[in-house]
Amino acid sequence: MSSSADLNTGVARKSRRSDRRRPRISGLGLALLAPALFLLTLFFFAPVVLTGIFAFTDLSTSTGIGRGQYVVTPNLLRQLGDQGLTEDDATAIASVSITIDEAGIARATEGGVDPDFLSEIADRFAGESFDDPRAFSRELRGLPNAPRRPRELTQTAEYFETSVLNTRFDNPEALTAQLADVAPDVSSDTIAWIVDRSYTGARFTTANFERLATQKETLRLIGNTALYVAATLGLFNVGLGLFLAIVLFYTPKPVTSFYSTLWLLPRITPLVLYAIMWKWFTWEDGFLPIVAEQFGLPSFNYMKGSVVTAWMTMISLNGFIGASFGLILFSGALRAIPMQQLWASEVDGANRWQQVRRIILPQMRWPILFVTSYQTLSLLSSYEQIWLTTNGGPGRTTTVWALEAFTTALSNYTGNLQYGLGAAMALVLVVVGLVLSIIYLRLFKFGELVSRPKIEL
Amino acid sequence: MRLQLQNFTKCFDGTPVIEGLDLTVEDGEMLALLGPSGCGKSTTLFSICGIYRADGGRIMFGDRDVSDLPSQKRNVGVVFQNYALYPHLTVEENIAFPLTVQKPRPSKSEIAREVRAIAELIHIENLLERRPAQLSGGQQQRVALARALVRKPDVLLLDEPLANLDAKLRLEMRSEIRRIQLETGITAILVTHDQVEAMSMCDRVAIMDKGEILQIASPTEMYRNPVNKFVAGFLGNPPITFLEGHTATEGRFAMDQGLFLPLPSRLRDLPAGQRISLGLRPEHFGSTGTAQASGRIVFVEPQGREMLFDVEAAPGVVLRSVQPVRDDVGVGDEVTWGVDVDRMLAFDMDGQTL
Ligand SMILES: Nc1ncnc2c1ncn2[C@@H]1O[C@H](COP(=O)(O)OP(=O)(O)OP(=O)(O)O)[C@@H](O)[C@H]1O
Ligand SMILES: [Mg+2]
Repeated sequence: MSSSADLNTGVARKSRRSDRRRPRISGLGLALLAPALFLLTLFFFAPVVLTGIFAFTDLSTSTGIGRGQYVVTPNLLRQLGDQGLTEDDATAIASVSITIDEAGIARATEGGVDPDFLSEIADRFAGESFDDPRAFSRELRGLPNAPRRPRELTQTAEYFETSVLNTRFDNPEALTAQLADVAPDVSSDTIAWIVDRSYTGARFTTANFERLATQKETLRLIGNTALYVAATLGLFNVGLGLFLAIVLFYTPKPVTSFYSTLWLLPRITPLVLYAIMWKWFTWEDGFLPIVAEQFGLPSFNYMKGSVVTAWMTMISLNGFIGASFGLILFSGALRAIPMQQLWASEVDGANRWQQVRRIILPQMRWPILFVTSYQTLSLLSSYEQIWLTTNGGPGRTTTVWALEAFTTALSNYTGNLQYGLGAAMALVLVVVGLVLSIIYLRLFKFGELVSRPKIEL
Repeated sequence: MRLQLQNFTKCFDGTPVIEGLDLTVEDGEMLALLGPSGCGKSTTLFSICGIYRADGGRIMFGDRDVSDLPSQKRNVGVVFQNYALYPHLTVEENIAFPLTVQKPRPSKSEIAREVRAIAELIHIENLLERRPAQLSGGQQQRVALARALVRKPDVLLLDEPLANLDAKLRLEMRSEIRRIQLETGITAILVTHDQVEAMSMCDRVAIMDKGEILQIASPTEMYRNPVNKFVAGFLGNPPITFLEGHTATEGRFAMDQGLFLPLPSRLRDLPAGQRISLGLRPEHFGSTGTAQASGRIVFVEPQGREMLFDVEAAPGVVLRSVQPVRDDVGVGDEVTWGVDVDRMLAFDMDGQTL
């Protein structure tokens, strides 16, 4: 009896447990969640996915974003000539032929040519072809209804001219047929090549990445970016932030709150104002150059006048924004260290410096790591401040990866915006950011193991 | 080393918390600073070790005036209430810390030797590799003690070192700390608001109230002969019972509620009609005594080895008695028990002992 009862309860327990393990998903719940999930996907993943797709295209202003057409332009022929198209083939393709056919008549009628004249042309030359426009004009002049003025005559002749050049085709077959027609001597391989290259729309390609991998500029961009991130982070976001936090930690309270607010200003000032302020600060007749002049120091436009000063300007103006972030975080972490620990270290004989180095800094590991990782990511992808100030100059000496991606894709003087290349550059940033995030997350876990986090974010 | 506070004054934001305090701790003595919360115990302690600067008076370590020295230069060991161990350092590094910040810095082997020696004294040799987070409260307590002692300080200061421990550990650490203090022969001050701790661990007890030291004496002396009503009321658990009234004729004491008790023989000469209060400790009211008091038991609290009785002798007069466990009486019973009249304490209206 009792054993069967045990069995029963055992079964009951087991089934209850399995019930608990399998979460119930109700249709209503899903339906309620759907919009949120949709938005989440849209806002978080769509940009990355689109960037990923664009990165593998040669999308640009000239390709447009829609479907392309097939056009052989004189420009294209010149380009192909550089890439091995023979002179003869090029001439053949560019040649103009004259055919008297329905289409020509229709074009001429539309163009307002005298109908009598036209019907004479149709009767007399229907189906004929001419290679030389001048010979055709001569023939036309012989017709009774031919216009007196030579200009009208030439115009009429032009309606019957056909050329592949600059003609837009919606599909490759039409262009192929036309090319074969116009230039029968050109090999079909060459024609296929020309047709392929004549596509005006965007197409999938890995050329962006090949270009990034091979061009010399890439190395410079990487170098600039690394210098920019490392210097801004090390000197300001972490260095200055930590220094200020520690100094303020040892400073009486009223002073502290004043300075904390002061250091927040760069962060809460609109970026444009902040950029203008820096211009005023560093340009020829700005504050710093004038002060420098008083002291007999070199005085010029520090923001754009020399590579070294441009870098210093760029790093400090970004740094002062980031420093406040570090300051706030570090100050919080410092206050979380129990006062008695600091007293204990003093009683133990540690001077200020030993207290900072041996007691405070080791306990700031976690916030330092956090600021470093968070700010690396945001610095890597930030360009606005640079764009608004040095704009990568002088020359391209302060151009960083994100700025280059931005100008390539969205803002440059030539007007040809290379969305594809820009997207490829952005994608590289995304990948680098992801890799760094993963590394940092690992480090955080490690940090958690060694010491419990002082701050809860 | 002998420690002296002379006319010591400490203010916070202009208001004096301690004014003109004098205190001497003899060489090798362990003194308890006992008092209610907020009376200035920690303030005194922190001023001795230099965390707070004295606003007046002198602090002497032996013949050395340390009043103006920063805490780094005073050579004191402090155990804080929450131990204040450095969480990022191992036990060994924690203990070594005071040595490693010394200038000139002792050699590695010297530091290791010192750490080992102190760890053996305090019985934590097996914990040296751990971090503070991996220690129990009692172990942390020992590490803090080791860290405070490793530099061989002139004075050891303990700020409520046992407050965070459970009852059993507290008992154990009480005797441990005393053992270590005796073994090292160090001059020590123990801050506590636990009278049992103060009385059981220390040579002398200084009782403090509102920034003033009321009495310094050995535990027994202080318990028997408190200088005033506050001290009498503060020491003793269960606490003393105060009876308000005035002297009457024939060496009697008349309570306001109309009850009479004989006055202690030493006070029989007091003129009649003087207002005083008597203090009756629970252990002096029970089966034996030179006088009797009767009443009804209103409350019984068994405490294991002993029992606590509240006896209502008259409306509003409750006498407390501690006796060995007995079950012949219970709540509601009328009892007549002896009062040890000569051991009763008496205070004048200012609270001073008569
Ligand atoms: N930093 C401070 N600023 C202002 N007042 C203070 C400060 N520290 C202590 N006090 C005041 O000084 C008095 C004594 O404080 P102290 O910390 O010495 O008390 P304590 O005897 O140690 O009490 P406890 O047993 O609760 O620790 C208290 O009234 C307290 O409010
Ligand atoms: Mg205290």
